[in-house]
Amino acid sequence: MKKERSKKHRRLQLLRIAVQAFFLALFFYFLFGTHFTGQDYIGNVEVFFHFSPLLAAATFLASRTLVIFFGLAAITVLVTLILGRVACGWACPLGTIHQFFSWAFKKSKFLRPKKPAAGSLWVKYAVLAFVLVAALFSLNVAGYFDPITFLTRVSATSLVPAVSHGLQSVVGLAYAIKLEALADKLSQSVETLTLNATFQQGFAIGLIFLGFLLLNKWRERFWCRYVCPTGALLGLFGRLNLFKLKIDEAACTKCTLCSIHCPTQASPFPNDQWKSSECLYCETCAAICPTRAITFPVRFKQEKAPAVDFTRRRVVASSLLALFSVPFFRISKAGKRASEKLIRPPGSLPEPDFLRRCVKCGECMKACPTNGLQPVLAEAGPEGLWTPTLVPKIGYCEYYCSLCSQVCPTGAIRELSVPEKTTVKIGTAWINKNRCIPYFLGRPCIVCEEHCPVSPKAIKFIEVETKRPDGTTAVEKAPVIDVELCIGCGICENKCPVMDQPAIFVTSVGEARSKENQLLLQIRE
Amino acid sequence: MNRRTFLKDVALGGAALGAGSRLFGAFPAGQAAGPDLAVIQGESPAAITRAAIETLGGMAKFVGRGSVVVIKPNIGWDRTPEMAACTNPDVVKALVEMSLEAGAKKVTVMDNTTNQAQRCYVRSGIQAAAKAAGADVPFINPRRIKKMAIGGAWLKDWDVIQDFVECDVLINVPIAKHHSLCRVTLGMKNWLGAIGDPRNQLHQKIDEASVDLAAFFKPKLVVLDAYRILTRNGPQGGRPSDTKLLKTVAAGRDAAAVEALGATMFDINPPDLPLLKLAVERKLGRIDLEKLNIEKRTV
Repeated sequence: MKKERSKKHRRLQLLRIAVQAFFLALFFYFLFGTHFTGQDYIGNVEVFFHFSPLLAAATFLASRTLVIFFGLAAITVLVTLILGRVACGWACPLGTIHQFFSWAFKKSKFLRPKKPAAGSLWVKYAVLAFVLVAALFSLNVAGYFDPITFLTRVSATSLVPAVSHGLQSVVGLAYAIKLEALADKLSQSVETLTLNATFQQGFAIGLIFLGFLLLNKWRERFWCRYVCPTGALLGLFGRLNLFKLKIDEAACTKCTLCSIHCPTQASPFPNDQWKSSECLYCETCAAICPTRAITFPVRFKQEKAPAVDFTRRRVVASSLLALFSVPFFRISKAGKRASEKLIRPPGSLPEPDFLRRCVKCGECMKACPTNGLQPVLAEAGPEGLWTPTLVPKIGYCEYYCSLCSQVCPTGAIRELSVPEKTTVKIGTAWINKNRCIPYFLGRPCIVCEEHCPVSPKAIKFIEVETKRPDGTTAVEKAPVIDVELCIGCGICENKCPVMDQPAIFVTSVGEARSKENQLLLQIRE
Repeated sequence: MNRRTFLKDVALGGAALGAGSRLFGAFPAGQAAGPDLAVIQGESPAAITRAAIETLGGMAKFVGRGSVVVIKPNIGWDRTPEMAACTNPDVVKALVEMSLEAGAKKVTVMDNTTNQAQRCYVRSGIQAAAKAAGADVPFINPRRIKKMAIGGAWLKDWDVIQDFVECDVLINVPIAKHHSLCRVTLGMKNWLGAIGDPRNQLHQKIDEASVDLAAFFKPKLVVLDAYRILTRNGPQGGRPSDTKLLKTVAAGRDAAAVEALGATMFDINPPDLPLLKLAVERKLGRIDLEKLNIEKRTV
């Protein structure tokens, strides 16, 4: 028999790569559009999230609220019901990246699969069960695993910042070798993209991503194969799988190349072992088959696909694990009393509701024009890891900006108009008189008052007598804060000339979203 | 010849002054024909700006053919023009147009902003207006900031944004605003937008710093935008009610004289401003308005 690979399936494979490239480009197009573009309102740059059924389900279960935008996830589900996991194989941007690296490892001979892999596929279903059961008990951990949130978070807080720093080096180099015109241009485009380049957790988040990239050296599409709960959910939805794998037994030489190179262990060979719930329709098996034995004819009849080894016992075990894990997440002091350092973006829901919805995707951090929104480590407790907080020393909350509230995919930050946003109090400024220049050194300053954006200003003056170190007495204007006017934007802290530990600083107390985290009697005479 | 060498020559007191004044137009104040100050009132910010410069003898008096012009408005804040926190964009636009009409090779408009640069450039309206008129409106490039000798009475050296030094003609276009430390800001403090950090520390001696910087940068022309002035809650305002429409532009060669005239708009007697007293001590210009030739017109 003449050995010849299928040209048709090779073309389909190339088409699939083109479609993947398109969705990856689209993903980054939206991501790079997530910043101040000159308009107060930016479009629906967070649309990718709304196609994730896992985020839809977890947000719905954890918050007991239907977020209307997640209706788009129905499209993904519908497509999967009919066609199987094409969303994973043809559209998912994180999957594309993993597939690219798998391909690179194969091309460079770091990855040389010799026989079909036999690893257990049930882990991602266990992750899925954990995520959903936890969500049922209001613990939203979907964002740590969902591919769209994963990739957005790592891009916003790690990859893009790294690119920014890299570009800065290139600019520096261009200046050093006197290519000033080029350097000026580069520098301006870096500024225009407002690549937020400072993130307190960026290194760790990047390292985790790097780890998963390297695992592709061990198994092709490791993440998609073993970890991704969104893929697992789509695997469960895949019912009809309109195009069904068929091996022409007469042509098959039983070389098992198809199963060796299947990126998700869907086991094309033998035919009756094909796991439609794992198949991404990537066309690799059909294109690689040396005798054109593999085709995907349309068949309406449902066949009983061999089950993944996610046994009833494992379903129960992972659900129980979630059930018993939830209380452990609640031990932290975060739920007991507000953290002074946890300054949530304007429009954030009250803390318990916020945690139920926030998927730690980093969209708000990408959108923030001052780089002030940062992923937290411990301030919000274990379930709040990588949720956003304003760190005024890095960046303040820009008065006329409500971008973070516009781009939040789950409504953890309620969408605000710009006029609405200017009235939302996210914290309160305090003065450390022991460090404040007029109070302590008896010299003029008032930088905080100058920058206070509200009108009338929340920072007022009093005349203060200060004994200077040389014994003379100075009388200077010193700042005092009108707590009721202060919105906690943090520009005073950001601009305070006392650099290391600013003499004026913002804490979360007084934040409009909280009933408990207050300081003043709310009864007015 | 660029500004830096020009300034050096002046400091040396050499013959360069003669060559310089031919090259750059009349200098110092008072030598040129025409009034010392032009104070023009009218409905259109662009028209009064044009009228002010024409009253002073036309832009060609300041901008030579082929010269590199840098215009320094106040773009410091993320505020729209009706808040009167930044210079009126139409005033800036008119100056760009006139500079190009006078034969400028290149006109650059820029400022070291306080709020996020892009937001300030966009929402002040200055970026779009100046670009439309043909100017370059770049953001501050941190690699083009260098430490320089300021040579002031108080400020000896500081980081200076090179674009403001490497030019033939520098035009200062401040907006008249209330400020709780300086009382008002009318021009010299605008130079804090041409230098690098930690500029916030300069507030500890703000008047001395402003005067030293004004003496260092020595603009050829100062155009004070008082179309809409900020009367309280400065330097940002925040409500239209913090502003007052004066529909005025004041222009002159003498930075101190323009500033003194601006003070009168806030009913301040010029010598009452410590900054102006310092400016006179340093011989930066004159503030005896009654003795100056001031042309006031309405267009």
